Amino acid sequence: MSRPAANTINAGAGHPKKGFFQTLCKQWQLVIMAVPMLLYVLLFNYGPMWGWITAFQDYTPKKGITGSKFVGWDNFKWLFGRRDFLESIRNTLAMSVINLVLGTVTSILLAILLNEVRKTMFKRTVQTVTYLPHFLSMVIVVGMAQNIFASNGPINQLLQGIGLIKQPIFFLGEEKLFWWLVGVINVWKEVGWNTIIYISAMTAIDPSLYEAAEIDGAGRFARIRYITLPGIRSTFVILLIMNIGHLMEAGFELQYLLQSSLTTDYAQTIDIFVLKYGISKQQYGVATAAGMFKSVVAIILLFAANTIAKKLDENTLI
Amino acid sequence: MKKILAAALALAMVSSPLASIPAMAEEAQEPITLTVFRGDPGDQPADDNKIYKKIEEEFGVTFEFEFLAGDLDEKLGMMIAGEDYPDLFDGGNSADLLIQNGALINLLDYVSPEKTPRLWAHIEPQKARLIEKDEDGNDVLYIIPNYGLADGEQIVNQVNGPAFFIQKQVLEWGGYPEIHTLNEYFDLLDAFIEANPTDENGTPYVGFDILCEDWRHFCLINPVQHLMGRPNDGEVLVDVNSEDFHTETFIDKPYAKPYYKKLNEEFHKGLISKDTFVMNYDQYIAALSSGTVLGMFDQTWDFNNATFALQDAKMYKNTYVALGLVYDPEYVDGKEIEEHYVNGSLPNVRRGFGISVNCECPERIVAMWEEMMSDEWQLLFNWGVEGEDYYIEDGRLMMTKEQYENTQNNNWKLHNKALAFTESSPKKQGYIMEGDLAGNCWEVGNQPEIVFGQMNDYDKEFLEHYGYQKFADFVNPPIELAPYGEAWQIDYSPVDIDHQDFLDIQDKYLPELIMCDPEEFDALWDEFVEEITPSATVFGEFMWEAVQKEAAKVLENE
Repeated sequence: MSRPAANTINAGAGHPKKGFFQTLCKQWQLVIMAVPMLLYVLLFNYGPMWGWITAFQDYTPKKGITGSKFVGWDNFKWLFGRRDFLESIRNTLAMSVINLVLGTVTSILLAILLNEVRKTMFKRTVQTVTYLPHFLSMVIVVGMAQNIFASNGPINQLLQGIGLIKQPIFFLGEEKLFWWLVGVINVWKEVGWNTIIYISAMTAIDPSLYEAAEIDGAGRFARIRYITLPGIRSTFVILLIMNIGHLMEAGFELQYLLQSSLTTDYAQTIDIFVLKYGISKQQYGVATAAGMFKSVVAIILLFAANTIAKKLDENTLI
Repeated sequence: MKKILAAALALAMVSSPLASIPAMAEEAQEPITLTVFRGDPGDQPADDNKIYKKIEEEFGVTFEFEFLAGDLDEKLGMMIAGEDYPDLFDGGNSADLLIQNGALINLLDYVSPEKTPRLWAHIEPQKARLIEKDEDGNDVLYIIPNYGLADGEQIVNQVNGPAFFIQKQVLEWGGYPEIHTLNEYFDLLDAFIEANPTDENGTPYVGFDILCEDWRHFCLINPVQHLMGRPNDGEVLVDVNSEDFHTETFIDKPYAKPYYKKLNEEFHKGLISKDTFVMNYDQYIAALSSGTVLGMFDQTWDFNNATFALQDAKMYKNTYVALGLVYDPEYVDGKEIEEHYVNGSLPNVRRGFGISVNCECPERIVAMWEEMMSDEWQLLFNWGVEGEDYYIEDGRLMMTKEQYENTQNNNWKLHNKALAFTESSPKKQGYIMEGDLAGNCWEVGNQPEIVFGQMNDYDKEFLEHYGYQKFADFVNPPIELAPYGEAWQIDYSPVDIDHQDFLDIQDKYLPELIMCDPEEFDALWDEFVEEITPSATVFGEFMWEAVQKEAAKVLENE
């Protein structure tokens, strides 16, 4: 699947001299198909961007964009003078990295394990069971997590039962544990779903490679190491680039629902900060500035990751 | 039943003086649906609700309710950002946001002694508190209070506001002691839980719960002012005896420290569980409803649903008594503090329904309210339909046991009460002042025949042991309301961000202080005071000025 797509991109990029419009006319069917998407992006992604003006204003809805006073960089200055904003940048990045690393490692691991399973029924069952949580609402997931991780919840009872700990661990109220809790819950919810794409990449690997390796005396681990892993490498890189673009989005719902006043310092992400100040506290200018900062950093991260991937001579996204 | 309805309606129309104005009635015939937002969670009324049916017949008005789900400020913020307002809304404690952002119309354009005599007579006695000045110096009234404009003497049958609560069985077990101070309260809880670690089903008791979720964190941050002998002023302590109404934030003061130190001690004794600090409101209500939480600081209305659940399950011994605790003299340099939990009655300023600027028929809504302030409608809203929901005997409003039990049933209410609308609308409270029914109470829950006649046997016996008439006898009678009212009503939005910091720091530090190693307590307390002082100072100074202004406004008018 990924190969033909990559070829098309290369083909387009490889012959720029042919005349952009000539190519465009030739592919008019494709162009028509792209129009709705283009409109969608213009309308919903580029359109609202003029609202970024409010980042430089002391905006109130009563006065509107035209009537509000311009305050230059004041909103940004205020933002970066606030400890809770700096903390929310830290929390966002930390939880993103944890999610990215944990999520990628576990889903590749699970994909490899499933790939090695020969019994179709078992494989299918495991796959279904692991990706079902993806469809659960975060509210339900957090409700379950709150029960499971409570001081008298099953996890603490188990740990106490086997004598690992004497006092129950206060999972939900310990700020130092919050990031990891988020990581673990995310893995539980998304691991099966994330596996799907790796499994499909693995099925695209030519079976004759495995047969040849087997004849050459390669064991299971050698086959994984020299065939499976290199086989999913390009998928891995593309996903990595995409995820790095989303690094500034550590998620919103999970932290929002799971936080308590004890853990706010480690739970507040940029999105929660924006909600708190922008909507609840009516500091629209400040919230827009925070959102704008987030987008700019995300774009920089995306291009940086893409460039690095290019240097490594891999398939790139842009 | 229809006949009774029609008869009651006819009676209402004949006896109401406004029924003789045909123009209004004619205009009101055109059916209209009003969108209504309620700033608190609630249930949709049933489609066949008999009161809404009457409103529809009489005024041609139907309602489309939306109740709060999630955070109120966020919801209102979304509405304001999109100027997407319902016709009527109750912004709860955040109505100031709506006013500032120009979402509400000035009701004084429609309410006046000539146009709406009943509504005017309703607000007139408290006009100094209610009518405010806007930026340009015009008189404005955005919201007619939903509660607190009562006729006649103040009725205090039970504590409706803040108090330390304790399960009746704990007092029973302790031999019905008088509990007045912090130490007495916690000593009793300690002793009880030591003797009875679990309930009959083997579920462990929780000694003391502290709800800290979102705006309900008043359970965590408010008690100190009460321990110092003042009713609820929110987050400040006002010295009413000083000439300039000295006002200060109390949480950062030395006299706040003993309370949290005490909680810290109790935490290490195991009376307080860690989980209480990460509990959300639903979990809290569930815990209370299970009957395993022995005590907490809260306000009565905040856990009504738990009380109803306990009563429903006939677990009367697990319901709560409100106690007015003060500091023991040892905590405040040997001073004896007089307890004042219950304040003089006060209008719920800026709380209730406001009409939005998007509403196309404000005049009609005000006219409807005016009509509804008649005795007939008020009786219908409060007591229901005569013969069906209540009966009259010798000029007294009465209910049979079954009728009373209905009023306690949430499902029945959805069919037979218009609470979603009436709770936030202007209403009569206190005593009925005129007519055949004069001397009765407007509210069922205040009528002596109901309060004492329908009391369950456990409660009756419980009160007998103390020699009390009613549950309000556990606290001192109300004190005179200070001229500024109650400071929690003051709009602090000019210092909103500082106030938010002030709260955030408390939310973070107070649970830590309660849970920390006792040896580290003093150091952590100093750190907390240092952190909170800047925002507390800004907020405290603002509040002092505001309290003075508010007091001046009312005193000037007297």
